[in-house]
Amino acid sequence: MRERPWPRIGWRNLARNRRRTVLTALGLAVGFFAVVFMIGWVRGITAELVENATSLVSGQIEIHHAEYRPDRSLYDTLGGREGLDVEALLRTIDADEAVTAAAPRVYAGGLVSSGEATSAGMFMGIDPEREPALTRFLDELVAGRLPEPGRFEVLVGDEMARQLGAGVGDELVLVGSAADGSMANDLYTVAGVFRTGLVEFDARTAVLTVGDLQALIYLDPDRIHEIAVATADPAEADAAAARLAAAIDAEGREIDVASWTVLNPVLVDYVGLAESTYWIFIVIIFAIASFGVANTMLMATFERRREFAVMLALGATPRAVVGTVLSEALAIGVLSLAFGSALAFPLMVWWAAAPPSLEWLFGSVTLQGALIEPSLRVGHHPAGWFWAGLGLLLTAFFAALYPAAKAARVPPADTLSGL
Amino acid sequence: MPSPPATRRPLHARVLLLLAMRNLRRHVRRTVLTASAMIVGSALLVFTFAMGDGSHEQWIDSGVRLGEGHVTVERPEFRVSRRIEDRLPAAVRRAAEAAFAAPEVAPRVVATTSKLTVTGLASSAAGSRPARIVAVDPAAEAEFSPIDDQVIEGRYLAPDDRLAAYVGVELVDSLDLRLGSRFVVQAQDAEREIAGQLLRVVGIFRSGVPEVDQMFVHIPLATAGEWLGSAGDVTNVGVVVDDSTAAPGVAAQVERALAEPIARGDARVMGWREANPALAAAVAIDDFGNYLVQGFIFTIIAFGIVNTVLMSVLHRRREFGVLRALGLTPGQTGTIVLIEGLTLTAVSGFVGVGLGLAFTWYFFGDGWDISGLMDEMTFSGVVIEPILHPLVRTARITQVLLFILFIGAAASVYPALRAARLDVTEAMKFDR
Repeated sequence: MRERPWPRIGWRNLARNRRRTVLTALGLAVGFFAVVFMIGWVRGITAELVENATSLVSGQIEIHHAEYRPDRSLYDTLGGREGLDVEALLRTIDADEAVTAAAPRVYAGGLVSSGEATSAGMFMGIDPEREPALTRFLDELVAGRLPEPGRFEVLVGDEMARQLGAGVGDELVLVGSAADGSMANDLYTVAGVFRTGLVEFDARTAVLTVGDLQALIYLDPDRIHEIAVATADPAEADAAAARLAAAIDAEGREIDVASWTVLNPVLVDYVGLAESTYWIFIVIIFAIASFGVANTMLMATFERRREFAVMLALGATPRAVVGTVLSEALAIGVLSLAFGSALAFPLMVWWAAAPPSLEWLFGSVTLQGALIEPSLRVGHHPAGWFWAGLGLLLTAFFAALYPAAKAARVPPADTLSGL
Repeated sequence: MPSPPATRRPLHARVLLLLAMRNLRRHVRRTVLTASAMIVGSALLVFTFAMGDGSHEQWIDSGVRLGEGHVTVERPEFRVSRRIEDRLPAAVRRAAEAAFAAPEVAPRVVATTSKLTVTGLASSAAGSRPARIVAVDPAAEAEFSPIDDQVIEGRYLAPDDRLAAYVGVELVDSLDLRLGSRFVVQAQDAEREIAGQLLRVVGIFRSGVPEVDQMFVHIPLATAGEWLGSAGDVTNVGVVVDDSTAAPGVAAQVERALAEPIARGDARVMGWREANPALAAAVAIDDFGNYLVQGFIFTIIAFGIVNTVLMSVLHRRREFGVLRALGLTPGQTGTIVLIEGLTLTAVSGFVGVGLGLAFTWYFFGDGWDISGLMDEMTFSGVVIEPILHPLVRTARITQVLLFILFIGAAASVYPALRAARLDVTEAMKFDR
């Protein structure tokens, strides 16, 4: 008979006091659920942050003149004062396999007046054909439609519309300083109203077509400030940015190709910080849970002193006794893992598909310029969940070491004779 | 034979207590293990909340000092319109200032400021940028806001300054200005005309909050009065109080004092939660995360307590059988178990709270520097300092102690019911 009976003895002992086993396993299962849930939630928030930071208004990659950031001067257009062939550049960018969309942009500062009220604004010139594929803020307008080229139409944020008392069809005067140093102004019709949820942005931004804005501020059609680029996955942005820089000869032409990790380093730090909290959760939760396992195993071994004494008297080695106790603890661990998974994973799948709203608790928050919506969005993190499961089994194992050592040291003769 | 009248002497509570205590001592190791989980859990709870409350207080303080204070008085329309015609009438301003100085409120007030905020356009030869122009009384603002200490070049506004501007560093860069440069601000004036004003940069600051560094320009209130034709009028009267929890009380007092202008629609009193919903949301989201983690931890601890108390009940079936045979009611047997569970929880919980407080105070009393983990970060217009200061509030400690007692009681109910429902004859059978 070569099969070792110790694991089986351990497993059978679980059934000896079912209520105790279930209570202990529930403690561990709640711990596992807690870790899986917290990891999923943090993952959901960081994913939402990165998504909103890179697809709501900004692109995952932004291409500027090398001098443009951080001053954002009106004159630092791509290709310098002469500008460049925007269409050719866009074709080169679109050719990259990771790029899903790219769009040109022009920026300028100025005043927006409805006659009755005046507000300071940032003018953003976009290509109405290309922009919707890149960013989300123009996908669903609060009212109206996108501006059409050459018709002197403007799109404003809902907060600006409110401050100016203007709606679709109303006329606005846009005043700005032009590239030739003069004050430029013209009359525009409100074509639509957008809303990002970023209050400052919604209060300050007026969107025109690229051509209309260039005409307002006397900028040649070849001169744009930015090409925003989207990739399928934010994680690909760094590699794609490097490829694009090579493809368009960025260095030779004084062009700066920056991915979101370069544009918003603090967000990258924050994501890193959030990920490191996983370990804190795992350690704290399982440290607390280990007391429960240790307690149960200590009780169980104490009750079975006579049994261990008999085993030892019949020739079992102390190592075999340790093996029995440890396999019992591991069996509790496996049971808890099953309970915990049955509780956690259906909920994770459900909440990932339909995040419950937390609007009763808080409004939206902006973190480092990125928006967080009040919903309990969870993300998937198989690696983190794997570590949580491993953490649970290790907790069960280590918490049983002391009780196992106690059991192995039961003196057989004394225990059996003294009852 | 006449028997003496059957008088049931009420069992002294002390006896029940004695029985419960004896049981905790019977399995010292088990008791200690369960108690350890509780001690560690409560210490962690106190530590987390002290650090959480401390950092929230710092966020709130930083947010309200860059804005309009913990409590602010303004016209109802101003929050949305941000226009100069929605400024406070001079009489309401005086009434608001008097209300903040009233003896019931004054002891809590740390700083008061009256300022005029408008949005406009700042232009130089290099271009134009939207700007938020804050016209202040330099001495009062210096006390109210941290902005005067965040100077990186030049100086903050002085009381007799004219045409001087204190400008955010990113606005300075984007307009290509330097110390001493001139630039023009334009905004709508009290007559609804666009008015321009030439200003000179006397100081440059960096607050760390991008929205502030990109947009804010501080100018003397007298300059704004001449430029915008608003004389000495302001849009807000705000105060910083000594603790954010005092804000609702102060707001209520001031609301009573200003009942008349509020009824006329000339004024509105706002607490920081209302004036800065993003900040309130950030505090709420952080607290929510804390409550969740603590909820999970205490659920795990509660299972441990149930387990310990239930096991001690099941092992003592005979003992309870004997007690019942001697005349204890089911209620009294249950009470013994309840006392046992509650004592275990309360003693270990309170020890944990004490240890947690001592630990927090001893190691982190001077602040916990986490700058190694993160750089300065901002959210919703607030700079998160990389040094966390703990804050212990009596209300929070009371809440924690009640929570611990609740967990203890909840975890002992089931074992107590088991003990109360014991079948005496079954329990007394001699089969081991």
